[in-house]
Amino acid sequence: MRLTAQQKRTIQFIPIFNGAPLKLDTEYYTAKDTILIETLKFYLSEIQFCKDNVVLDRLEKKYHLLDLMHPTSLILKHKSKNDFSSIRFKIGVDSTTNVSGAFGEDLDPTNGMYWTWQSGFINFKLEGRSRQSPARQHRFQLHIGGYKAPFNTLQEVELKTSKKKIILSIDIENLLTDVGLTERYEVMSPSENAVSIARYIAHNIKLKQR
Amino acid sequence: MKQRLLFLLPVLALLSFSIYSSNTIDYPDYFPNPYYNFGNNVLDTTKIELGRILFYDPILSKDSSISCASCHSPYNAFAHTDHDLSHGIRDQIGTRNAPALFNLAWQKEFMWDGAINHLDVQALAPISHPKEMGEEISSVVRKLNDSKEYRRLFYLAYRDSMVTGEHLLKALSQFQLTLISAQSKYDEVKQGRSSFSNQEKNGYQLFQKHCNSCHREPLFSSYEFSNNGLPVDTNLLDFGKWQVSKQSQDSLLFKIPSLRNLSYSLPYMHDGRFRRLTEVINHYTNGITKHPTLAKELQSPIVLNSNEKNDLIAFLLTLNDKKFVFEPKHQFPKNKIP
Ligand code: HEC
Ligand code: HEC
Repeated sequence: MRLTAQQKRTIQFIPIFNGAPLKLDTEYYTAKDTILIETLKFYLSEIQFCKDNVVLDRLEKKYHLLDLMHPTSLILKHKSKNDFSSIRFKIGVDSTTNVSGAFGEDLDPTNGMYWTWQSGFINFKLEGRSRQSPARQHRFQLHIGGYKAPFNTLQEVELKTSKKKIILSIDIENLLTDVGLTERYEVMSPSENAVSIARYIAHNIKLKQR
Repeated sequence: MKQRLLFLLPVLALLSFSIYSSNTIDYPDYFPNPYYNFGNNVLDTTKIELGRILFYDPILSKDSSISCASCHSPYNAFAHTDHDLSHGIRDQIGTRNAPALFNLAWQKEFMWDGAINHLDVQALAPISHPKEMGEEISSVVRKLNDSKEYRRLFYLAYRDSMVTGEHLLKALSQFQLTLISAQSKYDEVKQGRSSFSNQEKNGYQLFQKHCNSCHREPLFSSYEFSNNGLPVDTNLLDFGKWQVSKQSQDSLLFKIPSLRNLSYSLPYMHDGRFRRLTEVINHYTNGITKHPTLAKELQSPIVLNSNEKNDLIAFLLTLNDKKFVFEPKHQFPKNKIP
């Protein structure tokens, strides 16, 4: 067995709906709504492990596109050795990368996470249907991005943990309640709405305790 | 007189084809340093040629009817003269005039309103615009991957036959970066190889007094954004940079175009409202609308008599770069579109 402790370290992201892992294209019935999620994709970037505010280690790969359609993209393996007390990461793509042209792999524009008519990455994409949305066929589309003040949507998150296997969750049901789909069902450009939704996204990311 | 940027791309000696590919872009020493970071997209002949083929290939549009060159023709300094507003797939008319393309390496932001922040991502806009090419970048990449010839060309350029969005976009940039206009009569005068007539000399002085602050030598644009006092077209209601930033101080600011190659790139302005240079000059002398964001240089009227107007136009015509417009290396790659 060559499996050492350090090789087993992982970070896993689990989107949650109604207390259980979110399934795409599945109708959820809540007290006020019927909701179905078709797309959930976002950038998890600049992952660092810290102790006493000092960065001990970071994931070599800087940008990870997590896409619920491809469940393996939600599990990141890493090899950090040190004992840390917190994990730090960003949701989205930093402003320097946003103004530096075309990139490949997770950042390739064919991933559908780049705006075309106005330069910039979409940091977080959530699409589906909700009875609350007044749009055609009750669709909603949240494309959250924007790298320039006053509409900078990049979010930094720090959570206390020293676990070798880190499980993060994002509660999509809570997030949509925070967003309020009756009013905000189509957010597709850098704007005040995008900034406030980006903050809700960060608030709804928690460590899953087991 | 010429500065030379030399890019050498060492290629693994194991490969049987070229051991070195090299390419240069030439520009005069009185040009400023380019803004484009060539380090992230090192110029190379096979990539430039691939970019050229892509630029002229309608495969980039939904119904294979429109190429980049449909709106950016080499004979119009890569602008479009038949239409004031651009003309896309299924004969749809856009809302803006296709700008001329040259000296792009010196520009920081693109489009009349600056919506695009880097040349490498610019092509995403026309490819996916429903009134331009109406296609998705992911399906363009799929179509190219389905073509044996394109897989070969991408392999030659990138040592990887798998077409990616990144490689497609960067190849398009490579070709466009080679579109350098620096061989006009003005350039010859600058280089001591020609001289202005008296009329042109007089026009040059008027230009320096009234126009150079925005249309700055030697590129003939500062490539900043400004409001030059055009009255708003009430059908188009185009507010320029405001559309991107939503900040009131940006209302009616448009990208300052270069004045090189004006005889080839008509009509003029973001909506192509003028077809003649006399109309443009008359706008600056008599047509300025005083919006709150009007540029300070244009607050007090520019006064020119009719001789002076003619002199100014005579100078502007020295900025035509015929060599650039008829450069064979920029034109349709004969027999090469797969
Ligand atoms: C249907 C006509 C049309 C097609 C096709 C088209 N363009 Fe354009 N192009 C335009 C228009 C119009 C603008 C100005 C748009 C604006 O300001 O919003 C423009 C702007 C540009 C600019 C910015 C120039 C500047 O000075 O800011 C570049 C670069 C460019 N196009 C390259 C391309 C490339 C590469 C393609 C092919 C992938 C292409 N265009 C296809 C009409 C077109
Ligand atoms: C305050 C800055 C400013 C000054 C000064 C200025 N211009 Fe302009 N010019 C602009 C801007 C901005 C545009 C584009 C406006 C638009 O399309 O909305 C433009 C457009 C033009 C165009 C159209 C070019 C094209 O390709 O469409 C010409 C020609 C022109 N100017 C000539 C002149 C001349 C000649 C003078 C001096 C008499 C002058 N300009 C002074 C800012 C300026």
